[in-house]
Amino acid sequence: MENLDAARLQMAFTLAFHIIFACIGMVMPFFMVVSHYKWLKTRNQIYLTLTKSWQKGVAIFFVTGAVSGTALSFELGLLWPEFMKHAGPIIGMPFSLEGAAFFVEAIALGFYLYGWNKLNERFHWITGIIIGISGVASGILVVSANGWMNAPSGFDYINGEFLNIDPVKAFLNPAWFSQALHMVLAAFTATGFAVGGIHAYQIYKNRNVELHKKAFRIAVTFGAIAALLQPISGDISAKDIAQRQPVKLAAMEAHYNTEKGAPLYIGGIVNEETQEVKYKIAIPKALSFLSFGDFDAEVKGLNDFPKDTHPPVAITHYAFQTMVGLGTLLVIASLIFFISYKRKKWTAKNKYWLLFIIMAPLGFFALEAGWVVTEVGRQPWIIYNIMKTKDAVTPMPGMVYSFYMYVILYTILAVVVTWLMQRQIKVLNKTPIES
Amino acid sequence: MIYVVLFFLAFSLFLYVLLGGADFGAGIVELFSSKENQQITKKTIYRVMGPIWEANHIWIIIVMVILWVAFPVYFNIIMISLHIPLTLILIGITLRGVSFIFRHYDAVIDESQKIYNGLFRFSSVFTPLLLGMTFGGIISGSIIPPEAIHQYGFGEVYIDSWLNSFSFLTGIFFSALCAFLSATLLIGEADEAHEKIYRRKSAIATIVVVLSGSILILYGYVNNYVFIKDFIQNPFSVSLIGASALTLIPLWIHIKKGHKILSRFYAGLQVVMIIAAAMIAHFPYVLITKQGELSLLEGIAPDSVIRVLGISLIVGGLVILPGLFHLLKSFKMIKVLES
Repeated sequence: MENLDAARLQMAFTLAFHIIFACIGMVMPFFMVVSHYKWLKTRNQIYLTLTKSWQKGVAIFFVTGAVSGTALSFELGLLWPEFMKHAGPIIGMPFSLEGAAFFVEAIALGFYLYGWNKLNERFHWITGIIIGISGVASGILVVSANGWMNAPSGFDYINGEFLNIDPVKAFLNPAWFSQALHMVLAAFTATGFAVGGIHAYQIYKNRNVELHKKAFRIAVTFGAIAALLQPISGDISAKDIAQRQPVKLAAMEAHYNTEKGAPLYIGGIVNEETQEVKYKIAIPKALSFLSFGDFDAEVKGLNDFPKDTHPPVAITHYAFQTMVGLGTLLVIASLIFFISYKRKKWTAKNKYWLLFIIMAPLGFFALEAGWVVTEVGRQPWIIYNIMKTKDAVTPMPGMVYSFYMYVILYTILAVVVTWLMQRQIKVLNKTPIES
Repeated sequence: MIYVVLFFLAFSLFLYVLLGGADFGAGIVELFSSKENQQITKKTIYRVMGPIWEANHIWIIIVMVILWVAFPVYFNIIMISLHIPLTLILIGITLRGVSFIFRHYDAVIDESQKIYNGLFRFSSVFTPLLLGMTFGGIISGSIIPPEAIHQYGFGEVYIDSWLNSFSFLTGIFFSALCAFLSATLLIGEADEAHEKIYRRKSAIATIVVVLSGSILILYGYVNNYVFIKDFIQNPFSVSLIGASALTLIPLWIHIKKGHKILSRFYAGLQVVMIIAAAMIAHFPYVLITKQGELSLLEGIAPDSVIRVLGISLIVGGLVILPGLFHLLKSFKMIKVLES
């Protein structure tokens, strides 16, 4: 394996890992806080038990997200020193603010975890809210830095030098809003359905049903609202990409030839050699409309761009299709969830719970697929149209060993965290609860 | 504004050494304890460090962010030539962080505790040792600048830069500092019966600090290390080290009299003086390469960047520091506030 490929795989792998834990650590505090609020209001013991068990989940996920995030802050430099040398000062602002937000989160977490029976009840609850808010803030700030890689701004690029740097402008780059919105909604959807699915499984197995139903409802409400809003944000993203990164859009759609009134491809197998997409469903003119709001608008195809600036088309296309497909399933599940509020009969059926068990991992699959679209779709550039990934990689040879090491370490970690969660739930189910 | 940035860089570094260092040291103290005392130490660490545990380790991220934003050239060199120890530190940080949480938050207490404890103690020694070695690498004069790496072999560029006797001695010295900080902190947290244990640990750690520090200076002097030469010839550095040594006296007195706050204060002050002495010795030439010394201020980011970073740091500081202070106070880390 070449050094560049190994470094890219390591970055992809560690990011993919971090994203899962960071999202759960960012969203779960909201579930915890809602349950905590209900405990304060109703003094129903079940909510206290639930809050305390979710808080353990938050602690475990937060720390795993935090250590993998610390690793990433080093890895940016360790793997891409040339990138950081130039980009570091430009995108320092979101990162330094993110450091502050993360810090606030850690402080609030200290208060929350250790504050039971020590702090004033209301203040204690508020520290829980601060965990959630600062978590989302750090998510937005980090995504803004990534947005800059897709929409580099806030500097003049003259003779290979980055001059007239304006960090605020770089921070508020054209991509930050659509990317951050899409990401935050994705995090809520994925975590809501994942946590809800775990509780659905317990209900399905008829364990501690009263508690798990309450937990399920809180988690999936967050997930379902986010899932229903996601298509709007997706549309904003698509229009933005069509404007700013037409080559990425063309790769997402595996669209080789420029045409007016371009059709939208659903599914299909991409042959990069012959530039064909077989077995697809084509919806006439839909791509033009979705990208530009005009059925006859011209969509640029890959052939209009130099070959050495094409991202890997097949991966980008499949990832995009996966994201949209899974997102659609989650929208349907969200509708079913809201309808079940009215039709209580549904929730008595095992099929209902089985559905949400199946949905549990899908949000995260969609979220990872979305990141593949963003990151692989930007290739071969690390800074779009400015710096190529191959020019940013570390000169240190043997990156492949570093990659293997991270794969082993993080795989073990993922297995252990899953095992720990299972132990938490087991113990929780054995705890007698009086309502 | 560059002074604001430098201030926050130094401030974060000091707090990382003090808070993170005490935290690493706790694991070292635990490792070198008898079986029964290990359990007591484990509980004490959780009670004392638990609430601020996460915050202790975020300082290193702040240091990294400041380095890459404001001092990109400097950051670039250490990221390339110290790739291996930095990766090892990351593994250490990861293992330590997760084992700390796992051992306290696992729903079932069983044999797996042994693994978490083992991992926690091992990584508590391994990580500060490598942090010290990395710093030793930065000042040992073995780093090869990126533009010259093609003239050298893999070993010279990526291994010799940090795996040498000088940086190993620095690593030992730094680990001893961590153990010293932690043992002194723990004295004030133990009941009377166990206070003795931590007093002894603190005394042993002090001896190791003094011994390893002396050996480091002697070794550096005999082998003509630029950093050590500058250090010895700098009146500020020498007087700071002298002052730090003198503070051992009030420290011992306060430990003996059971003044928890003052003994913590003196222990912290000592470490701050030692680190400050090292920083001053060479300022602003913080990176010593094979081809000469490199200033922290060389290849500094443009003014517009420094300005925004400075403002961000001030804003961040205003938000974080009162919160952090309140946290420390709420969980009685700062006992002085109670009286």
